[in-house]
Amino acid sequence: MTANLVEMRGITKSFPGVRALQEVDFSLRPGEVHALLGENGAGKSTLVKILSGVFAKDGGTVRLFGQIAEHLTPLRAQELGVAIIHQELNLCQHLTVTENIFLGREIVRNGRLCRREMTQAAREVLGRLNIALDPDTIVGNLAISKQQMVEIAKALATDAKVLIMDEPTSALTAKEIDDLFIIIHRLRKEGRGIIYISHRLDELQHIVDRVTILRDGEFITCTNLADTTLPEIIANMVGREINEKFPRVTCKVGKTVFEVKRLNAGRLVRNVSLSLREGEIVGIAGLMGAGRTETMRAIFGVDATSSGEIWLDGSKIDIRHPEDAIKRGVVLVPEDRKRDGLCTRLVIRENIALPNLDILCGPTSFVRRDQERKMANKAMEDLRIKAPHIDVDAASLSGGNQQKVVLGKWLARQARVVIFDEPTRGIDVAAKVEIYNLMNDLKQRGIAILFVSSEMPEILGISDRIIVMCDGRVTGEMPIEDATQEKIMELATQFEVKQ
Amino acid sequence: MAETRPNIVKRVFAIRGMGQVITVFFGIIVLGSIFGLLNPNFLSDRNMHNLLRQIAPFLIVGIGQSYVLITGNIDLSIGSVLGMSCMISATLMTRGVNPWLAVLLTFIPAVVTGIINGLLVARVKLPPFIATLGTMTIARGIAQVVNGNRNTDAIGQGAQLFRDVFYYGRFNLFGVNFPYNTVWIALGLWLVFNFLLSRTRTGRHIYAVGSNREAAQLSGVNVTKTVVKAYTVSAFCACVAGLIQCAQGGLGTMDSGTTFELFAVAASVIGGVSTLGGQGILLGTIMGACVWGIMQNGLSLANVFVAYRNISVGIIVIISVWADIIVRDGRSRRLRAQAEQAAASLRETTTTN
Repeated sequence: MTANLVEMRGITKSFPGVRALQEVDFSLRPGEVHALLGENGAGKSTLVKILSGVFAKDGGTVRLFGQIAEHLTPLRAQELGVAIIHQELNLCQHLTVTENIFLGREIVRNGRLCRREMTQAAREVLGRLNIALDPDTIVGNLAISKQQMVEIAKALATDAKVLIMDEPTSALTAKEIDDLFIIIHRLRKEGRGIIYISHRLDELQHIVDRVTILRDGEFITCTNLADTTLPEIIANMVGREINEKFPRVTCKVGKTVFEVKRLNAGRLVRNVSLSLREGEIVGIAGLMGAGRTETMRAIFGVDATSSGEIWLDGSKIDIRHPEDAIKRGVVLVPEDRKRDGLCTRLVIRENIALPNLDILCGPTSFVRRDQERKMANKAMEDLRIKAPHIDVDAASLSGGNQQKVVLGKWLARQARVVIFDEPTRGIDVAAKVEIYNLMNDLKQRGIAILFVSSEMPEILGISDRIIVMCDGRVTGEMPIEDATQEKIMELATQFEVKQ
Repeated sequence: MAETRPNIVKRVFAIRGMGQVITVFFGIIVLGSIFGLLNPNFLSDRNMHNLLRQIAPFLIVGIGQSYVLITGNIDLSIGSVLGMSCMISATLMTRGVNPWLAVLLTFIPAVVTGIINGLLVARVKLPPFIATLGTMTIARGIAQVVNGNRNTDAIGQGAQLFRDVFYYGRFNLFGVNFPYNTVWIALGLWLVFNFLLSRTRTGRHIYAVGSNREAAQLSGVNVTKTVVKAYTVSAFCACVAGLIQCAQGGLGTMDSGTTFELFAVAASVIGGVSTLGGQGILLGTIMGACVWGIMQNGLSLANVFVAYRNISVGIIVIISVWADIIVRDGRSRRLRAQAEQAAASLRETTTTN
C-alpha cells in the first residue's frame, strides 16, 4: 500500500471569536479525487488554506508524502508539490500562456530569458493534458474555461502532486465541464491527488472517489462515494434531512404587467421577447454565456439597446438608464454582489438608502435621516440581516447577509417587477431558503418576478413558468408542469448552425 | 429589532473618518506647541491672523479636491484653473470692466473647465490623471494668453472694494480684531460644501460612485452627472481661490496657483480622504489644510530654508497616508474577524431553529 499524499490529523484552528476547525481529519491517496463538502463557512477553505500554507494551524499534524510538514508557508507548500486552482483564477491577463506557466520560475541563462525553451516546455505540458492551446496566446483573450486549463498546466509544470480545485466548474458550460473531467481523470491516472471543493453535488458521481464532509468546522464523515447517497450527503452537510427543498407557493396569476418585445442589444441579446404576469415567477434558464445577464442589463437600462420595446402596464416605456427603470418600479438584483450590488465602503444604512434617495429626499434633495434610519431598520428586521446595527460597514458582513442588504435596497420601494439575477450564488443553504421564501412573498403581493439561475433544481423548484435562452435568443418557453431537466437542456443547447 | 441610539459622543466617534480627524487634531496641537517653543512669535496674535489667511486658500482648493477624490478620481487642473481665474479677473478689471461683473465672468471659464473635466473622465472615460493633466496645461495656457503673455498691471482704485471683500476686509468688534475676509470666505464655502456632501442626495451619490461605481449605477445613480458635479465644485473652488489671489496681490500673475493641485491633494489625504474614493470627510480637509499651513508658516518662522520646508512637508504627507494604511489594515483584519463571527452566529441560529 502506498503512503497517503496528504494526512491531516486533529487539525484545529481558531480566529478571534470563532472556532473555524475542530479536530478535523483529512487524507488524500495517490490517484484519488477527494471531495471536500460542506455549507459555506463549514471550514473547507480554512482547511485547504492550512494545507497550502496560507494559514498556520493551532493544533494537529500535517503530513505531506509521509513527512511531517511543520511551519508551512505558501512558497514551501508549492515547493513540496501542493497547488491550488482558485475559484477566482490567479493569472496575469496581459501575459501569454507560457509566461503565466513559468511566472516566478522563468528559465534564465546569463540574465536572458530562454523563451524558446519555456514555450517548448509549456507546449509539452499542454500536450500531455490534451489541451489544444497555443502557448503564445495572451491569457486575457482566452475563455474562462481555457484559463482554468492554463492554471492546471501551471500546477503540473511544477510537478504538483496535490491539486486543490475550489469550485472549478462554477463558471463553465456543460461541455467545458466534461473537458475538465477528462483532464481530472488523466491527472488521477498519473497518480496525483485532487481535492475537489464544490457546491454542485450532482457532479460528484462523475469524478469523485471519496467524500469528506465538514459542518461548522467539525469533521462529520468520510466515506467512499459508492457507499453513500446524495440525500445522505446533503443530510450530513446541513445536519438534517431536507424534505421540502423548495418552498413553492401557488397564487392566482393576474394580468400581464411587463412585456419585452423583440429586444436587441449586442451579440448576446437577439430578438428577445418575453412577458410577465402579476404574481408569477418566470425562470430564465440557460448555459453560461446564453445572454441571460446581458438581457437583464439591457432591460434595466444598463447597457444600450439597438432596438426593441418595453411595455409596462399596457403602455410603452422608455428605459435608457437604470434610473428610468427604478422610477417605473422595475428593479434588478444583480448577479455579482461584490462587483455590482454593494458599496462595501459604505454602511448598511447607506447601501439600503442608495436607490431610494428619491423617496428619502422628497423635493428638497436633503436626506431625511430619521426616515433613512427607519427604512434601514425595517429592512434589517424584515430580511433578518445579522448585524449589530445599521451603521456597520457592508464589507464586514457574510455573503448571505450581504446579499440580503442588496435585496433590502430594492424591497424598500414599491416595485412592480423584480429581476433576480443568480440571487443564491455562493451563499449557504439556509440563506438560500430565506431568499426563496422572500421571492414567494413578493409573488403573493402581486409582484412579477424574473428569476435568472444556472442551477436547474432551483429553477424547477421555484418558477411558475420557464423561459430558456441559448446564444442570445429565447429558444423555448414552458409552464412548470411540463418542464423537465432534459427539455430545458435540449433547448439550452439549440445553437444555430453557423455559416 | 428595536432601534437603539447611542449617546451623542459615541455617535460622533462612530462617524467614519472621525478617528483620523481626531488624530490629526492632536497632531496640530503638537505641531503648534513645537513651533511655539521654537519661536514665541508663532503664537502671537498677529501671526495667528497671518496663519489663518495662509490656510484659507489651501482649505478652499482642498474642499474641491476632496470632492473629486471621494468620487475615486483626481483633479490636477486646480492650480491652473486658479491661475486662469486670477488672470482673467485681473485682465478684465484693468480693462475697465466693473469688478463685480468681472468676478461673474471669471466663473464661466472655470466652471466650464470643471464640466469638461467631468465629461472627459465619466463620459469619454479617460483616466482622470491624463484628462486633468490635459486641461491643466490648457488652462495654464489660457492664463498666459489672456493678457498677451504678460502679468497684468495693478487692478487699480476702482477695484478696492473687490480687494476688501475677497481678502483684506476685516471687522473689529469690542476691540477684538476678527480674521481677514478671506478666512470667512473659506469657512463659508466649507460650511456650504460640507452640508452638500454630508446631507444631500448628490453628496451621497458622490460617496457611492467612489465606493463602487457599478453598484451605484445599478442603483439608479447617474454616474456621469455625479462626477461632473464633483469636478465642477473643484473648479468653482479653484476659481474662488484665484479671485482671492487676485485680490491679495492686486494684479494677475500668470504662474499663480502653480502646484496648488498637489497642496489640495495633501490637505485632503492628511485629513483622511482616501485617494481610492468613497472615504473621507471635509472636517478632515480642514485639519489637513491647517497642518499644511502650520508647517509652511512655522518652518519659515523657525528660519528653515524653503528647500527643507518642502522636504519636511513632503515627508508629512507620506507619513500621514502611510499611517492611514496601517490603521485601515488593522481595521480590515478586525472586519474579517467580525464577518467570521457573524457567520458563526448565523450558523448557531439556523441550527437551533
